[in-house]
Amino acid sequence: MKKTTAVIIGGGATGVGILRDLSMRGVAAVLLEQRDLAYGASSRFHGLLHSGGRYAVKDAEAARECAEENAVLRKIGRHCVESTTGYFVRLPEDDPAYEAKWVVACQAAGIPVEPVDLARAHRLEPHFSERAAAVYEVPDAAIDGFRLCRQNVLSAKRYGGKMMNYTEVTSIEQQNGQVTAVKTRNTLTGELGSIECDIVVNAAGSWVGQVAGLAGIKINVIPDRGTLIAFNHRFTDRIMNRLRPPANADIFVPHGSVTLLGTTSSPTERPDDFTPTTEEVLALIDEGKELFDELPRYRLLRAYTGTRPLYCADPTAATREISRNFVILDHAKEGLDGLISIVGGKLTTYRLMAEKISDAICGKLSVQAPCRTAEEALVDDIAPELMQQAKKFFPTAGVELAASRLGPDLAETVQRIQANPAKKELVCECELVTLAEVETVAHDDTTFTMSDIRRRTRMGMGTCQGTYCGLRGLGMMVDNDLARGMTTENLLREFLETRWNGIRPILWGQQMREVELTRGIYGAGLNMDGAVPDETE
Amino acid sequence: MRQNDVIVIGGGLAGLFAAITAAKRGRQVMLVTKGVGAIAIGGGSIDVLGYDATGKPVRDPSAALGGLAADHPFAILGQQRVETAVQTFLGLCEAEGYPYQGDLQHNQWIPTALGRLKPTCLTPLTMNSAILKAATDVTVVEFEGLKDYSGRVMVDGLRQCPGYAKNYSLVSLKTDINDGRDLTALDVARWLDSDSGQAAFIERLTAAVRPGSVILLPPVLGTKPDYRLFHALEQATGCKLVETVGLPPAVTGYRLRRLLVNCLGKLNVKMIEQANVVRGIVENGRCTGIVTGNLDRERTYRAESFILASGGFFGGGLQAEAGRAREVVFDLPITVPANSADWSKEKLFFAGSQPFAKFGLQVDGKLRPVDASGKLLLENVYVAGKSLAGYDYCVEKSGNGVALATAYQAGAEA
Ligand SMILES: Cc1cc2nc3c(=O)[nH]c(=O)nc-3n(C[C@H](O)[C@H](O)[C@H](O)COP(=O)(O)OP(=O)(O)OC[C@H]3O[C@@H](n4cnc5c(N)ncnc54)[C@H](O)[C@@H]3O)c2cc1C
Ligand SMILES: Cc1cc2nc3c(=O)[nH]c(=O)nc-3n(C[C@H](O)[C@H](O)[C@H](O)COP(=O)(O)OP(=O)(O)OC[C@H]3O[C@@H](n4cnc5c(N)ncnc54)[C@H](O)[C@@H]3O)c2cc1C
Repeated sequence: MKKTTAVIIGGGATGVGILRDLSMRGVAAVLLEQRDLAYGASSRFHGLLHSGGRYAVKDAEAARECAEENAVLRKIGRHCVESTTGYFVRLPEDDPAYEAKWVVACQAAGIPVEPVDLARAHRLEPHFSERAAAVYEVPDAAIDGFRLCRQNVLSAKRYGGKMMNYTEVTSIEQQNGQVTAVKTRNTLTGELGSIECDIVVNAAGSWVGQVAGLAGIKINVIPDRGTLIAFNHRFTDRIMNRLRPPANADIFVPHGSVTLLGTTSSPTERPDDFTPTTEEVLALIDEGKELFDELPRYRLLRAYTGTRPLYCADPTAATREISRNFVILDHAKEGLDGLISIVGGKLTTYRLMAEKISDAICGKLSVQAPCRTAEEALVDDIAPELMQQAKKFFPTAGVELAASRLGPDLAETVQRIQANPAKKELVCECELVTLAEVETVAHDDTTFTMSDIRRRTRMGMGTCQGTYCGLRGLGMMVDNDLARGMTTENLLREFLETRWNGIRPILWGQQMREVELTRGIYGAGLNMDGAVPDETE
Repeated sequence: MRQNDVIVIGGGLAGLFAAITAAKRGRQVMLVTKGVGAIAIGGGSIDVLGYDATGKPVRDPSAALGGLAADHPFAILGQQRVETAVQTFLGLCEAEGYPYQGDLQHNQWIPTALGRLKPTCLTPLTMNSAILKAATDVTVVEFEGLKDYSGRVMVDGLRQCPGYAKNYSLVSLKTDINDGRDLTALDVARWLDSDSGQAAFIERLTAAVRPGSVILLPPVLGTKPDYRLFHALEQATGCKLVETVGLPPAVTGYRLRRLLVNCLGKLNVKMIEQANVVRGIVENGRCTGIVTGNLDRERTYRAESFILASGGFFGGGLQAEAGRAREVVFDLPITVPANSADWSKEKLFFAGSQPFAKFGLQVDGKLRPVDASGKLLLENVYVAGKSLAGYDYCVEKSGNGVALATAYQAGAEA
């Protein structure tokens, strides 16, 4: 049986942050994730590195935490953050009294807020509504959740931390009121396992209640659905917030070549209630068009849904009202020593949350080492020489993108192209992803499925939504013997169906055309899903 | 000014074949189209009916046509007309010097780039699956840099098909294309249109294969509808060759399209390309003309009757918005489920046919558009191809077959 000091359950931002923190302090730790990194809210989110502005009026403490962590993450997570800045825009129908209150609250929380002249704002952001009554600038930014998770793991690895994906914790073992081990199941192969440990950290996000339940402990959380839509182009260079009390569909976040609009909010039973509906999408567009008049004419790319774990003492509370601050629950109080849960928070504050819970764990273990996660960068910057080399091989527009996407994997990718220049061909033309990059990532021992490759490289994230790169990516995996026991059919199906989940609720306009093409290729042409008789003639 | 009897809207397989059919009847025909249609994407093999409504493979398409739902285009036409259309198509290809093989009584199982077999009805001689079926020794050819085609995927897949446990070997050949761009099958095919490309390829292929082997390769044997290269390769290598179905662009479809366009030329059909039909002019339930272009420069064309072959959502003949769908030229009604969740199924594949795939125009026995109650909407407009409702070609494998059969009917009526 494997042994470690701390087992962390959950490969979202919170879990990986804890893995990194504990590893840096010298505590042996293993993180277990039931699917892939950022399977939960840490990729199904808005991608906003909050300035704190959204919470300033309602939740001063959360606002201050965001403001501070925002500054920290820009420093340690440079390659995950796009420093866009953000506007808060008040429309004539929004309460001016709230504007005044908001400015004061921001200042109190330490959020730098600057009024912007309307003419200037429209010059810089030509597409938002001419009706705007007031605009302020705050240090909002865009953040890539998957990359953040991955780079935390890479950092933790340097300090001995371990991560196992596709490993679900199925039970938490205890003896005499003390945690002793966890049992696991590989969700791809079904293989069972167990790991002995002294501490179990429950960082399972919306699943936190289920995981606590494995140890017979009850945590009162309601998963709350939030749906977002991605538009096919970048129509704003800044984060655009409605300056009004937080509501639905009031934030636009530019991310690379797309723009995200969200969110909705509705309670659900299931933490993995990830299927967006057309009604949610239409409601978002209807509300969002107040800030961008042309919104109904913009081409959609996909929709997606995440769930937030809202912790509440009173289960009947309306979800939007619950404080988004996090809580740490040491279950020693309920008679189980060694199990400790963390609930709530935001991706923006993941590092702070990890620091606080790691402090508590180190206290239990009598480890003195201080937290250093705010000082050290997640990954080293790429050496200028390597960048120079890379420029020779990558499509011009693709170098910077590939560099921030790949981080430490860039060197290996460049080597592959040097060894065989044909490897610079593009597997994914929409997102400019080269064969060399896909191969590098596919060789990683935590890559199993084509969606894993997608999350690591962005293959399949663009306009064609996986139609062309599906067969190519498959060919690459098979040619390199990387199918790892999965059938070609299952690899391809998984890839195409996850894309479909995001297209189905927006099945009109250009998406309808793309879907006919996808079905034409894999159905009419290649016959992926038709039966083959025992004997053909 | 040219006096047209018939105007065909759309230059996909349905539009081209309808125009030929009408012109052969002595009608003065004009064809107006925006693009080239799905054939350049989908390919030149003619599916008629590969699977029945329960998903079971069909052995004899001709016999299975009787089992289709009443609103299926084939059911509207009836078995006899489909048979006539197929015969006419085969005769046309023969006459144009690029014969197809197969008949309506049999399906053939052709290999696809996924290493799967797919039922189809008619194919060019380069896709004769009987050759692969009978082979013991198969050489799978890849091209360096042709990223859309993995020989390993092909072999791994075929090995799992009952009856295809053969002796496979893989060879990778170079092309002489080195302009730095990524390759598609169409690039390789264009290279093989050239004398130098052919010579180089014949030499490389001959060196790489054993005589007697069956050579399986992506669809690259030239873009023109002729078999000279195909036969030359058979001669030089002492092997038989089989082209597979691959990713777009579809070279086999280019060949068929070229054949049909050549034929249109001979029949004096005027073809106006890159012209967008923006609306039809309708008076008293009859179409008297169509208007092309956009707001700044419009042109009107008049005729006695019209064939609407503008395709489905992919071709551009149909468009969907949230909650509704429409036909773009005449704004004809398309019936859709009120609840958007009923437009599609939770899974895209392995789920049988999709409701949205069957969206389209409802027609009478002469293929003229009718409304939901069956009332005739336009008495001189005939609909052919993917604009029609009631069939999901992706699942049943019927795309080009429906296009041909309905085009033949429309061309005969208009
Ligand atoms: C719609 C939406 C928009 C949001 N937008 C923003 C935003 O713009 N900015 C921001 O800062 N925050 C945002 N948030 C909040 C933020 O996304 C979350 O607070 C944060 O991602 C939570 O991270 P986590 O690691 O706690 O949970 P998660 O990311 O959900 O991770 C939990 C993980 O635990 C795993 N797990 C569960 N059970 C088990 C088990 N038994 N064994 C192994 N693994 C298990 C799950 O698979 C999952 O990957 C948003 C949230 C939502 C829902
Ligand atoms: C990827 C893919 C693979 C396929 N594989 C196969 C296969 O292997 N075997 C098979 O049998 N079938 C296959 N099919 C299906 C088959 O290609 C189609 O069903 C068939 O070709 C449809 O022909 P069509 O002429 O009806 O429509 P289309 O080919 O769509 O043609 C419509 C034409 O109308 C034009 N048009 C549209 N609107 C206007 C307008 N307003 N003004 C002017 N012109 C207009 C378009 O530009 C186009 O030229 C495949 C389809 C796809 C997409």
